[in-house]
Amino acid sequence: MCYIVYIAYYMTNGTNGSEVFENLRLELRRGCLIVAVLAQLRTEQYGYTLRKALADDGLEIDEGTLYPLLRRLETQGLLASEWREQDKRNKRFYRLSAEGEAILQQLLEEWQRINTSLNKILQETSL
Amino acid sequence: MSKPTSQQSAELIDRYLQAVRFWLPRDGGQGDLIAELGEDLRSQIEDKEAELGHPLDKTETAAILKRCGSPMMVAGRLGPQRHLIGPALFPIYLFVLKMVLLWILVPVFLFIVGPANVANSGGNWGLAAASTIGQLWSGLFIAAGIITLVFAIIERTNTQLGTEIKWDPLKLPPVRKDESKPSRLKAACDFGFNIFGLVWLLLVPTYPFLILGPAAAFLKAGPLLHQFYLPFVLLSVVALVRSGITLARPQWAWFPLLSQLVQSVLMLILLHYMIQAITRAPSAFPFVVVQDAVRDSAKYIKVVAIVNVSLLVSVACTWLGVCIAAIIQIWALLRYLRKRPSTPRGIVSLILR
Repeated sequence: MCYIVYIAYYMTNGTNGSEVFENLRLELRRGCLIVAVLAQLRTEQYGYTLRKALADDGLEIDEGTLYPLLRRLETQGLLASEWREQDKRNKRFYRLSAEGEAILQQLLEEWQRINTSLNKILQETSL
Repeated sequence: MSKPTSQQSAELIDRYLQAVRFWLPRDGGQGDLIAELGEDLRSQIEDKEAELGHPLDKTETAAILKRCGSPMMVAGRLGPQRHLIGPALFPIYLFVLKMVLLWILVPVFLFIVGPANVANSGGNWGLAAASTIGQLWSGLFIAAGIITLVFAIIERTNTQLGTEIKWDPLKLPPVRKDESKPSRLKAACDFGFNIFGLVWLLLVPTYPFLILGPAAAFLKAGPLLHQFYLPFVLLSVVALVRSGITLARPQWAWFPLLSQLVQSVLMLILLHYMIQAITRAPSAFPFVVVQDAVRDSAKYIKVVAIVNVSLLVSVACTWLGVCIAAIIQIWALLRYLRKRPSTPRGIVSLILR
């Protein structure tokens, strides 16, 4: 009986643990997605092909996340977009702006710095 | 006649987009967002059709839309992030809300509106209590609404407030002591005073001047004090035991809070019965009476009447004071229960074993 209660307690807390992980995972992904989107848009693409390209590279992103992000990046001047007809359908094509290119470069350098620091920290703590 | 499948899919997508549009804010970008989402969905359907080798039917299209999410949820994610009160203002908003509702409105209703309703109720305490609770309830809602509205206006008109607040690290308040651990000195003083109080109470029957002072020459304890003497002695013993345990077990952070509350409740019950006894038959239960030697003196009889009324007022004031103390103690206990550290998982497993 005591073990059953303990297992129930553990499972409840286990669920909270997975929720915490999910929140932290999303937080970690958020910044990475911006870099991934900017990098992917060095070649012009429209929303769906961009989503597919990111998914093919292992970064799934849903419509509700991608389109507001594209809009925000465009407002910040990092992306340029235009509506164009392709296959008899109107599509909005995005590409990295000149400013976006510079920012992406800085972000990639920052990413490298973080990565180096993190590796160093992980190596130190694993000793 | 049934429509061709591609037309059915297109119609379903249009219905879906219409539902999303309904939940999106009507700003300039709404059309663009809907067009983009529609294009994305059509591309998904095209890909799926290419994969399956046939046009999608209604059910297959519905599955794609279902994966995309409910229109309201999608609109929520697509639309701009909006809040009534932003993160910069929210802590101040919460602080003001707590101050006004808990520290101003509730005490005002408890100590001013409530007693006023009781006084005007003509003895109908139940009706007075119900009316006070009703007024308090609506008052809380109105106050919370007004505060929220004011903060929402501030948020809209001055969104930079949070970053513009000037502050000086040198003017921050000093670190507060851990309130959950009772002070040892305080517990020792409490214990000492309780010993003193009990000894004093036990000596009073033998040395009445300890309570009556010089008036003991012509006054003596009345039936009321005789009747309630033993319960008061017992209550003093309870207080002494309580302070002794607090002193001996300082690690029981919960004990002083709970035991003080229990003691206050016992005190309230005792005072309630005392007041009830007096109000039912004032002449039968005086606090003090004149000494036999001066029983016929009109002057002393007048003095006794004044002393009894004064004592009754003192008891009533004590009752009110203990009521306030009990409310504060309940508040402190609830705050402790809310803030106490959670039991580590290892300990829980040990307890369960």
